[in-house]
Amino acid sequence: MQNLKRGAFAALIGLAVATPLNAADNKVLNIFNWSDYVAPNTIADFEKATGIKVNYDVFDSNEILEAKLLAGRSNYDIVVPTASFLERQAKAGIFRPLDKSKLENYKNLDAELLARIAQNDPKNTFAIPYMWGTIGIGYNKDKIKERLGVDTITSWDVLFKPEMSAKLKDCGIAVLDSPSEAIGTALGYLGIDPNSEKPEDLAKGTDLMKQLRPNVKYFHSSQYINDLATGAICAVVGYNGDILQARTRAEEAKNGVSIGFSVPQEGGLMWFDVMAIPKDAPHAENAHIFLNYILKPEVTAAISDKVHYANASTAATPLVSPEVRNDPGTYPSAAVRSKLFTMKAHSAKFDRLLTRAWTEMKTGK
Amino acid sequence: MTANAHLEQPARAAPGTPRNGSPQQFGRQAVTAVPMLWLLVFFALPFVFVMKISLAEADIAVPPYTALLTWVDNKILSIHIDLSKYLFLFEDSLYLAAYLGSLKIAAVSTIFCLFIAFPIALFIARQKPETRIFWLALVMLPFWTSMLLRVYAWIGILQSNGIINSVLLELGLIHEPLALLQTDFAVYLGIIYSYLPFMVLPLYATLEKLDETLIEASADLGARPTTSFLTVTLPLALPGVVAGCVMVFVPAVGEFVIPALMGGPDTLMIGRVLWDEFFSNRDWPMASAVAIVMLIVLVVPVMLLRSRGRHSLGHG
Amino acid sequence: MTSLASNRSAAGPADAPFVRIEGVTKRFGDFVAVNNISLDIHRSELFCLLGGSGSGKSTLLRMLAGFEHPTEGRILIDGQDMTGVPPYERPVNMMFQSYALFPHMTVADNVGYGLRRAGVARREVKRRVAEMLNLVKMGDFAHRKPDQLSGGQRQRVALARSLVRQPKLLLLDEPLGALDKKLREETQFELMKIQTQLGTTFIVVTHDQDEAMTLASRMGVMNEGQLVQVGEPRNLYEFPSSRFVAQFIGAVNMFEGVLVDDEPDHVRIRSEEAGCTFFVNHGISSAPGQTVHVAVRPEKIRLSREIPPGADNVVKGVVDEIAYLGNLSVFQVRLGTGKLIRVTLPNLDRHEGTTFEPSDTVHCSWGPSSGVVLAS
Repeated sequence: MQNLKRGAFAALIGLAVATPLNAADNKVLNIFNWSDYVAPNTIADFEKATGIKVNYDVFDSNEILEAKLLAGRSNYDIVVPTASFLERQAKAGIFRPLDKSKLENYKNLDAELLARIAQNDPKNTFAIPYMWGTIGIGYNKDKIKERLGVDTITSWDVLFKPEMSAKLKDCGIAVLDSPSEAIGTALGYLGIDPNSEKPEDLAKGTDLMKQLRPNVKYFHSSQYINDLATGAICAVVGYNGDILQARTRAEEAKNGVSIGFSVPQEGGLMWFDVMAIPKDAPHAENAHIFLNYILKPEVTAAISDKVHYANASTAATPLVSPEVRNDPGTYPSAAVRSKLFTMKAHSAKFDRLLTRAWTEMKTGK
Repeated sequence: MTANAHLEQPARAAPGTPRNGSPQQFGRQAVTAVPMLWLLVFFALPFVFVMKISLAEADIAVPPYTALLTWVDNKILSIHIDLSKYLFLFEDSLYLAAYLGSLKIAAVSTIFCLFIAFPIALFIARQKPETRIFWLALVMLPFWTSMLLRVYAWIGILQSNGIINSVLLELGLIHEPLALLQTDFAVYLGIIYSYLPFMVLPLYATLEKLDETLIEASADLGARPTTSFLTVTLPLALPGVVAGCVMVFVPAVGEFVIPALMGGPDTLMIGRVLWDEFFSNRDWPMASAVAIVMLIVLVVPVMLLRSRGRHSLGHG
Repeated sequence: MTSLASNRSAAGPADAPFVRIEGVTKRFGDFVAVNNISLDIHRSELFCLLGGSGSGKSTLLRMLAGFEHPTEGRILIDGQDMTGVPPYERPVNMMFQSYALFPHMTVADNVGYGLRRAGVARREVKRRVAEMLNLVKMGDFAHRKPDQLSGGQRQRVALARSLVRQPKLLLLDEPLGALDKKLREETQFELMKIQTQLGTTFIVVTHDQDEAMTLASRMGVMNEGQLVQVGEPRNLYEFPSSRFVAQFIGAVNMFEGVLVDDEPDHVRIRSEEAGCTFFVNHGISSAPGQTVHVAVRPEKIRLSREIPPGADNVVKGVVDEIAYLGNLSVFQVRLGTGKLIRVTLPNLDRHEGTTFEPSDTVHCSWGPSSGVVLAS
């Protein structure tokens, strides 16, 4: 409502004065980012250095961000979608191409990762990578040892072989409630292109999930953080950052729960959160200033230190504290990294098939 | 109960009827205009918007659906209406299953709420007026915290290493933790717990007004307490029963959070299907069609309940 | 017992008491609502409990119905101890002050309610309901809801409902209280007629002395939880046992005085208040010098301009005010001592005004048997 009013007001002014919008109040920047996704001083330092006042809002799911962007007139200058979401949103014409001449720190970015992101954002037109991570298996070390006799999980067999997942049923298996990521992971395990939209490939992925299904306690995309930390579940297909957060919580609680994370040898999904500027951003100029600021190695490194996610800056990585930099959960080894695959946006038609197959797998209906 | 009973109006009603154009009538119109306006702004207009979206086609655009009205060559107004979403609701059995699943969960929860809330409301209504507020506050108190927090509290109680399982294990009554969470039982528990006050309050409101001498009169005429309850208390509390059932049933059908957090993977409710249409499929028109049909599914039984309630109340 | 036409026939006060209240006390916390009442009521009596609000009369009635339980003492109905017997098992029905008609039921369903609870067959219920509604002249209203009836009609339905089970004892709590005066008077006689016709024992609670006087075959006056006096209406009026009863029932002139002469056949009482000595031709057993009261009803006093020859009790005063009430006139006379007394005279002639005018000097006189000496 407020955005709407502000938009209408800006439009009126625009008509009356016929001057570029960003000239009117150019000392403001509206950012919409994931919650807990910057260092404590990131925004304050930026405001101090530039004199630009930042309005900082947070969200906690790509869907919420997407709904806002698709509804239009979001009034944000910087948004942080995951790359596969950005791909589809870009097709709807939501974003403004970056003016890379204004981003002198762009050179700090890892070329290999930029090339991967280019699968979602051709020629890296709209977005810069912010943080990235993986989807793997988070597990309760003691309970896995007890039931499977291993110290670390190295293969997806643990979940995708029914006789093995059955052994974990009693201590609780959780899976991300995200059809594209979960089925993509299953297809990767089967050696099938995770981005395939062939119905027969979808059927194979779904069948594999159906074998796991009887041993799954629940499908949810965030509940597992707490449950893994408290020992209510013992294995989860989840995001590396969330699982590391569960590990921290368990350590802080001193509850004797010891948590491990691995991306198994068959490979896993890799995701990128990227920063982009909406087409109707009222302060696009300031948005560029902010992106350039974020790309400074010391700024990026400070964020990685705080949020325990890998960044995409070759210049920043050496500045990241060794504790984070050497954690294979955050920075996978080169061997694992070579087996990571990225998700593409699906066609609307395939999305529907995928969602339907997922629902059918879960509920039997 | 017979029809002619309704035809005979009490003689006293005549002087009360307002004359056309009198100030009272203007006042009454003004008074009814406020809720009408409320309904228009918060129900009718959103309904029309959602209806409009449900008749469009999904599109990769902002907003992500096609326009119903377009100008061709700036001259001809072209109307494009797509009913396929509604047809699809019947093609795929998922929707029917989800609607039925939601209705079942809501209906069972409503019945349980009614059976739990009635004694509570009756108990409170029979307290001294000064102490009623205390008991009402106890019923209302949980509402002052976030619903999400309360659901998480239940998760803490029900989970495999939660309070219930810990106590039962400690007592040696069970040897393996019971699977209480991620079950239909947990969904029912969560919904019944969350919506119980919505049942207690309307019941209390009618029971509080119930004339105690009517109960005495029935006892005097030979009715044992149970009979007295069934023949006097219950029929007279019917408006509260209807209001409470509507207030529990309607939101329970659309419930999303509780089944998502406490339900198992196979808990299928229409709220989840709607979420999937909107966020996973990004098909706003389909999501809108699901919502419109859900509304119709809800409005019809509510209307039935209302008319039943009014009928058995006579002139109410 | 199946016929409504059964009458009081053999039943009479001579029988063993039908309702026996034995030393009943009811306390609510510290408050004593009913204080050690013992009372016998006979079969087919129409007994009125008269008292002001808070006198305990309704509490006593509710104990008879079984809604309250005596703190001490017990109640027997027809020889059966009612202690621990719930309302729905007592051979008693009650007509509530508010009528307590079930608003969600028709008149017929209201009246038939008690019969259905007793398991009476549907057809029989219908017959008896119709019969009872005819008795109270509500036969045409069987299908109405209570909110479609006038106050008087509701009262009849309530009566019918409480009678249809043919209770041994009917309790009526201010049965006519909600009706206007004219309707009340009509209904009083109807109630008596029905009572005579059915022979049911009625206990009526009322605060209205006229109602009690009209209805009752016997009545009891209650004050502050105690039963002050029991007797036939006439006895209570003419021979009140206390100042409270004398003042509560009807109007009375009350003179304070000192007993100067107490013989078996008469007493003399010197009253400073009245400025004279009263002569009353009945004795009381009190010591001379004791302070007593003499109660004289206004209609028992004569007015005259001259001192009537041979009068036993005469006081002189000035007419202060006159109220014309149609059937009689009420005179307020100021005595020499300043005390105001009340005298009523029937208006015997239509044309004549009152014989006396305000400011007239008059003599008020009454006979030796007109006054009552009250020691308490």
